[in-house]
Amino acid sequence: MRDRVVFYLNGVRTEAGPEDASLMLAEYLRTRRGLTGTKIVCAEGDCGACTVLRLFPHAPGTDGQNFLPVNSCITLVAQLDGSSLVTVDALQDKGQLHETQRAMVDCHGSQCGFCTPGFVMALTGMVEEKLSRSDATVDIKEAKNCLTGNLCRCTGYLPIIDAALSIDLSKCRPLKERFYSNAQETALAEVFGQSALVEDKTFSFFAPTTLEEALAYLARYPDTRILGSGTDLSVVHNKRKATLSRLLGLHLIPSLYQIREDSGLVHVGARVTHAEFRHFLKTHVPEFASYLDVFASPQIKNMGTVVGNIATASPIGDTPPAFLALDAIIGVRGPTGEREIPISKFFLAYRKTALAPGELITYVKFPIPEKATDLRFYKSSNRKDLDISAVNLAVRVTWKNEARLEIRDIAVAAGGVAPVPYRFFRTEELLRQRYDIEAAVKELQSEVTPISDLRASAGYRRVILENLFRKFFREVVP
Amino acid sequence: MSLPHDSARGHVTGESEFIDDRPVMRHELFADVFYSTRAHARIKHLDFEEVLKTPGVIAVFTGHDFSHNLWGAIFKDQPILATDEVNHAGEGIALIVAESREIAQRAKRKVVIEYTDLEGILSIDAAKRAKSFIIPARKIERGNVETALAASPLRLNSTIKIQGHDHFYLESQASVAYPLEDGQIEVHSSSQHPTETQHVVAHALGLQDKDVVCIVKRMGGGFGGKESQAAPFAAMAALAALKLRRPVRLCLTKDDDMIMTGKRNPFENEYAVGFDSDGRIHALDVRLFSDAGAYADLSTSIMERAMLHTDNAYFIPHMRVVGQVCRTHNHSHTAFRGFGGPKGVATVEKVIEEIAHFLNKDPMDVRRLNLYAEEGGKDITHYGQKVENNTLGRLLSELEASCNYRQRRSEVQAWNSGNESTIRGISLTPVKFGISFTTRFLNQGNAFVIIHTDGTLQISTGATEMGQGVNARIAELVTSELGLPRQTARVMPTRTDKNANTSPTAASSGTDLNGAAALLAVRKIKKRLSELALKLIDIPPEKWASKTAGLGSEPEVDLEDPYLNENDPNAGADWVSGTATYFGICFEGGEAFHPSHPKKRITFGSLVLEAYLNRISLSDYAFYKIPGIEFNKLTGQGNAFLYFTQGAACTEVALDRDTGEVKVLRTDILMDLGRPVNEALDLGQISGAYIQGLGWCTTENLVYDQQGLLLTHAPSTYKIPNIQDTPRTFNINLLKNDENYANVRGTKAVGEPPLLLAVSAWTAINDALRHLPHYRKSYPMVRIPATAENILRAIAPQRFESWE
Repeated sequence: MRDRVVFYLNGVRTEAGPEDASLMLAEYLRTRRGLTGTKIVCAEGDCGACTVLRLFPHAPGTDGQNFLPVNSCITLVAQLDGSSLVTVDALQDKGQLHETQRAMVDCHGSQCGFCTPGFVMALTGMVEEKLSRSDATVDIKEAKNCLTGNLCRCTGYLPIIDAALSIDLSKCRPLKERFYSNAQETALAEVFGQSALVEDKTFSFFAPTTLEEALAYLARYPDTRILGSGTDLSVVHNKRKATLSRLLGLHLIPSLYQIREDSGLVHVGARVTHAEFRHFLKTHVPEFASYLDVFASPQIKNMGTVVGNIATASPIGDTPPAFLALDAIIGVRGPTGEREIPISKFFLAYRKTALAPGELITYVKFPIPEKATDLRFYKSSNRKDLDISAVNLAVRVTWKNEARLEIRDIAVAAGGVAPVPYRFFRTEELLRQRYDIEAAVKELQSEVTPISDLRASAGYRRVILENLFRKFFREVVP
Repeated sequence: MSLPHDSARGHVTGESEFIDDRPVMRHELFADVFYSTRAHARIKHLDFEEVLKTPGVIAVFTGHDFSHNLWGAIFKDQPILATDEVNHAGEGIALIVAESREIAQRAKRKVVIEYTDLEGILSIDAAKRAKSFIIPARKIERGNVETALAASPLRLNSTIKIQGHDHFYLESQASVAYPLEDGQIEVHSSSQHPTETQHVVAHALGLQDKDVVCIVKRMGGGFGGKESQAAPFAAMAALAALKLRRPVRLCLTKDDDMIMTGKRNPFENEYAVGFDSDGRIHALDVRLFSDAGAYADLSTSIMERAMLHTDNAYFIPHMRVVGQVCRTHNHSHTAFRGFGGPKGVATVEKVIEEIAHFLNKDPMDVRRLNLYAEEGGKDITHYGQKVENNTLGRLLSELEASCNYRQRRSEVQAWNSGNESTIRGISLTPVKFGISFTTRFLNQGNAFVIIHTDGTLQISTGATEMGQGVNARIAELVTSELGLPRQTARVMPTRTDKNANTSPTAASSGTDLNGAAALLAVRKIKKRLSELALKLIDIPPEKWASKTAGLGSEPEVDLEDPYLNENDPNAGADWVSGTATYFGICFEGGEAFHPSHPKKRITFGSLVLEAYLNRISLSDYAFYKIPGIEFNKLTGQGNAFLYFTQGAACTEVALDRDTGEVKVLRTDILMDLGRPVNEALDLGQISGAYIQGLGWCTTENLVYDQQGLLLTHAPSTYKIPNIQDTPRTFNINLLKNDENYANVRGTKAVGEPPLLLAVSAWTAINDALRHLPHYRKSYPMVRIPATAENILRAIAPQRFESWE
């Protein structure tokens, strides 16, 4: 059992005891390591100023192969156990700027400079990905997509887009050549195979290599918080609304990284990130993949887990309505063994789920909709990208025949209209009986109780819910 | 090709140092501010017992600990920390100082406070009812508005509502104070106004100005939010440092910064306009009401600029603007890029749009008809200043043609008559922005230039660098005067012990004031070097001081005229001529020479060394004041500005009929910036300001609770534009104009004016909406910001009624 978290920082082996492991990476870099290039602005993963690159080589899955941008302000040092990190401070090579840095200088991509390190790292992450795919050029869509998680208040982004487009990929070498040696690979493999318990009087972080150990720990310490990617939990910590004192990390359990299709059923393990999920969905459920494009930022998608987005049970989470509409099933392990919960029975009340004490989610699975299915996901927010929804809606319909006048099967689910992600069983039943949109809209509205808050008024939520619902039928019924 | 920002390399490598990047000193402490959650209340009970018991907490300070607790940029009416009564939610009450930031932040939650709530005024309406105003209403008037209105063939009355706008500088308010010997304080602050910060710190702590130095290396964005507001936080850090004799750092979290600090003032304006069937405005009667928040701050000056910009680009023969600044119990609002300008301009642009809608005309034609023009004396503003160097007509014509405005307008109309899921709108608006502080005494700057004996320079001015590139521009101005590359000079951190009595870096004036002063300073040295160079031509090099100085065998070179005559045209009166020449000496390519002896060139390095060895001063200081500013605040008449920066933008938007979401399809901008010192830096100001203005007009929504406590206090809820919100097509061009004789090197200020161009996005949204059948007889009343919800309400008002 290790008593320290182990990772590589700019190519150097680094160990962290409880005092360091309990800090957010950005804070650790800035206050304990003097690496102040990484900035903290929002401390909630919404601005990207703290972006660093992370390689997690021993996680089974495609994303383990590259240095990926992540938000260091909402990532605990403990979570980086087994990772290799590169920060902006180390990016230039013997006084020579990295190509992304050169591009930002030459294209006037920085003004005040506070967001700049984050932009440089996000761009470098894009370069790493493109090098791994042997791409030759950067297009404007890719440039914008890779920078969706970075806010700049000075430039209006135009010079930064110019910079991204001016990057000459032939002048870039993968960071692995500089920051990831064979010796490091071997050392991290060893780290990945060994459980860790990093603790002192005020902080405890346990990272077992098996589910059994994890369950035993949960049983022993009921106050344990499960640390998925921490994208929610870290924010609560940073805003000083809670203290993270006892955490269970599942990152060393290989089986939780599985994502696969099995006779029409997609299985997504608890450690699968949104980035990887999206990659998988592109071929299996492309509609869902494009929905994930306007969901979160690349940095969040690279850390955040699919199961985490369900487990946190936010009524405005973006994936729960999609999973509700797909009739997903949640796989749970607990003291009494395994069980499966249909997602429509999972969300009980505001932020309250059907998980019993001592239980944890190990996977979510769902059937791939049959070919003739009309499947659409909608998200409505004040700002199109990286904004929390006012309302989101998922609709899945199969018709009795080509005429599209009678519905054989339907699922409708929405977020932002009730205390929980909501499945419209009554509306669905009505539509199965008779395809009458006007009657269905009335039923739809009678099922929900949206609230007014800082994002949207109740009335607005109702109007968009109805509009998006109508839009679905307008789009699929010619 | 333009040189990059002078800190670009440090920015991309992360080496550029901001306040919180400064190494933590031994014994340094961290402070955090406990603030009110009530709008207006008496503090009944305040208890720090649990806070002080927390391990690691060193001290708690309140307003009573200051020698003078009141500060204010114009009126000293604002407590640094509220004592008996709070006047807005987010108002600081106590400073908690601890061994770590986290300890201070967590301890803050243990403060016990009880309030006796008092009646709060949380809106402009409520302030009007309670007659709660900062100062009596002010008026700027020309002609006879009543008569002209009555005589106008057509009349409209309307209103416009404009919400606040958070600066969202990435670096929140930050300062660190170091106690020095003999009761002195050195404070490093993220401040646009080091002089005021110095003065506020000294006054608050009962020190004298000589005891306090304020240093500003750079800011992670300012935008006006650190013009006045940096000072009280610096004073808090300095108080703790002085009392505890330890360095104290106070860097706000983004959440606390947004909750505590003031924003762009909300405005609610009313107007009556008289016009004819061609769309010509005969008379405009406008009443501007702003929400100052709890304290005066800069709100009266902001109102003044709003009043001076309610004409924007239009000649309005009979015009009256009344401005009333309301005192409420919201956070104390402050400067924000554009100051009052955007609120005045948005108002008159709405007037134009409404007239065009009423007459069923293209708003562009109405704009044209009313544009300031030389002919017919239509170039005098309502405050009596002549609009000189007027390029508005050219800007509009050239932009209209280059962006294909007319054709795209008919395409938009065709699109909207189809059955698409979006409706589109297009709008082209001009801007004429007055450059100068409207308060005369602020239009002064000073600079200090040092040349070292290796031929490199250090420049110090009162300008502060917040990303806008003022330092790069100043360095380029100064080095080009000496024929040197920019990298031979470094602009040093702004310090009040080098440049005192400076004005804030604000009002777009940073380069105008400080660049001019720096140029004057270097010209003083240049004159001496020129005379020396001339004399050296006649002295054989082996007799130069560098070969003989130690021996004293050769006579020293004496200058006959070492001082620059203030009336010398080369001193700066003739800015546009570019560089000044003295004694016929040219400075080019790192060398000095006289054209009559082109072979006898002296490298700049040897020249300055010779100067040193001949005891000729290589440093100088200069002072610059903007000439010809005579605006009388009492009468509201006079030359308020040295010149105008002008531009125009055309924006096309698509609104989602189902959700109200807005997408900017295309933006074209054309600006007249005279002859830029550094074109790339200017273009960066334009794109940045436009997108910031776009946020103000669309997604940036400040939502408060019943007590005026800000709920959208982080980027998760307060949505500034993201890279995906930039226009799909975004063209920015500069109009060629070599005729701005008023300003240093023929440049024009750029910082604020392009923000106002984003008003075209808001008018484009309204343009899209007015195509809807229910706006046939009325004009949409979408406030600023036009959020998705506001837009959907305007698209389908009846749908909302059924639920509300």
